[in-house]
Amino acid sequence: MAEVILNDVKKTYPGGFQAVKGVSFAVPDGGMCVLVGPSGCGKSTLLRMVAGLETITGGDVAIGGRRVNDLEPMERDIAMVFQNYALYPHMSVYDNMAYGLRNRKTPEAEIATRVKDAARILELNDEMLARKPRQLSGGQRQRVAMGRAIVRKPSVFLFDEPLSNLDAKLRVQMRVEIRKLQRALKTTAIYVTHDQLEAMTLADMLVVMNAGRMEQAGAPLDVYQRPASVFVASFIGSPPMNFVSGVIESLGVVKLESGETLPYDVNEHIAPVGAKVTVGVRPEIAHVDDNGPLTLPVELIEELGMGRLIHARLGARPFTIAQGPGEARPASASVRASVPPHAVHLFDAGTGLRV
Amino acid sequence: MEKRAVYAGVSTPALLLIPQLAIIVIFFYLPAGQAVWQSFQLQDAFGLSTIFVGFENYRDLFTRPEYLHALGVTVVFSALVAFFSLSIALLLAVMANKQIAGAGVYKTLLIWPYAVAPAIAGVLWLFLFQPSMGMVARWLQWAGIDWNPLLDGTHAMILVVLASTWKQISYNFLFFLAGLQSIPHSLIEASAIDGAKPMRRFWTIVFPLLSPTTFYLIVVNVVYVFFDTFGIIDAVTHGGPASATTTLVFKVYNDGRSGGDLGSSAAQSVILMIIVIALTAIQFRYIERKVNY
Repeated sequence: MAEVILNDVKKTYPGGFQAVKGVSFAVPDGGMCVLVGPSGCGKSTLLRMVAGLETITGGDVAIGGRRVNDLEPMERDIAMVFQNYALYPHMSVYDNMAYGLRNRKTPEAEIATRVKDAARILELNDEMLARKPRQLSGGQRQRVAMGRAIVRKPSVFLFDEPLSNLDAKLRVQMRVEIRKLQRALKTTAIYVTHDQLEAMTLADMLVVMNAGRMEQAGAPLDVYQRPASVFVASFIGSPPMNFVSGVIESLGVVKLESGETLPYDVNEHIAPVGAKVTVGVRPEIAHVDDNGPLTLPVELIEELGMGRLIHARLGARPFTIAQGPGEARPASASVRASVPPHAVHLFDAGTGLRV
Repeated sequence: MEKRAVYAGVSTPALLLIPQLAIIVIFFYLPAGQAVWQSFQLQDAFGLSTIFVGFENYRDLFTRPEYLHALGVTVVFSALVAFFSLSIALLLAVMANKQIAGAGVYKTLLIWPYAVAPAIAGVLWLFLFQPSMGMVARWLQWAGIDWNPLLDGTHAMILVVLASTWKQISYNFLFFLAGLQSIPHSLIEASAIDGAKPMRRFWTIVFPLLSPTTFYLIVVNVVYVFFDTFGIIDAVTHGGPASATTTLVFKVYNDGRSGGDLGSSAAQSVILMIIVIALTAIQFRYIERKVNY
């Protein structure tokens, strides 16, 4: 049980490359923080700095009120689940889970109880405990990696893309299991992923990273509903948000480059008349409306079963509308659509930041 | 399922196999067969008459104390060379694996001794340790050690062990380094997080994962010591003093060529052949079964 605090953490490699350019956030005790971003954004580096596998070249990391910058990984009271699981191939599953405890000179009787407990929680039976990792399926290996982390009862769990080696179905299942387990154990966790859906579903707190910087931190729904930048808006949500250029025509009305105008919520956005903006609209909120202000030539319709995606164009830009299962498939080559004012996101055309 | 090329007829595969088979037959099976045949024969001192004696040569060998002595020398010699060349090579490989800057130069320098011919390696060490003018020999004498490999059997053994070990380290180093580099880095990191200090990490994770390499090298090294150290021994000690460094392969040469006892020499080479076949079989069995995880 511990709070994890990062204060202006930086990582500069000897060659001068800055992988992490000053990141600060705090994960509350028992919370699950998900670091999400495209590959190369510095999220894994940041996690490895918390773990002690990378040196911290600037700022501080504190776990449970203790500055850990100069402590060895083993002294930080953390456990980590690796992307490739990093199970010791020459040891049985039992020995894999017992290894960390044996290194800490835990009595064998207690090791046995703790490994059995963990195995029960993770639904690994005795027969599996005797096997070698190579004799297990991907999902089972994943569980053993989790087991190795939980037997130690650390203050913090660190997950480095633990589900990316699993197939899609198993990934969803393990995602739910990880979340349930973390809730049950109430252990602080930091989880790294490039999958925005995994990030949305797992996080108490979402940290979106891009090019070594933190773009936004907050509750997943807040990040989804009020993205702080074009980058966050495009990264979180699937299918991704539609973007069109526009100019503020008058208070509460934005004129799109394609000529149409859209009303926006003046309580959400403050922008001077004449300001150049990027207008963002989520595909699932735009809807087909015969009286709507937007006219969109349809290019392709994808049926998803639970709905459909209408790929269309707004002026020169692609524009996607996601329909729910009950809605009628448009028959014509072009549809009209409307967007409620509260769902129109405005970003500064120059900086990309929310206005 | 591995892919296999399938040929329609017999002629193409046969044609492709013939060169390789011809080489094996001419340079291995024929001489080996000849050795086996000779080992059942006895020749007179002038090579004028030959009689078939069956297993007499073999029986004779195992009653002769010189042969049993050579067997003992070989066992001690190979155990020492294998142990030292493997452990020193492993130590160097672990250090080279850590050191990234300048690793290329370091590795190249370590690999060079392998390119030196055994006899030349032997002569190099012979000069260094030659009692009256060798550099190292003189240091030893200054240090108060009565160093004389020409008279002292133990000293002679130390010298050939040194030369053979030095020669073999490069080869072992290369394999150990490759083995170390194939161990996923995340395993080492996981064990660091699991609270294992560097020494414990090495013995509980790295060393066990190197075991396929280690087993392979043990067999290769023993085979090396059994056969390829002939040049070193011939150049440095000629098997002496008083047969203290006469190994099995040196004895084969000595008895056959200098002693003219072709039957016995052939019997000895057949025994050596059997030993190597056995070692190779053990290697395949063991690596296949025990060491994959």
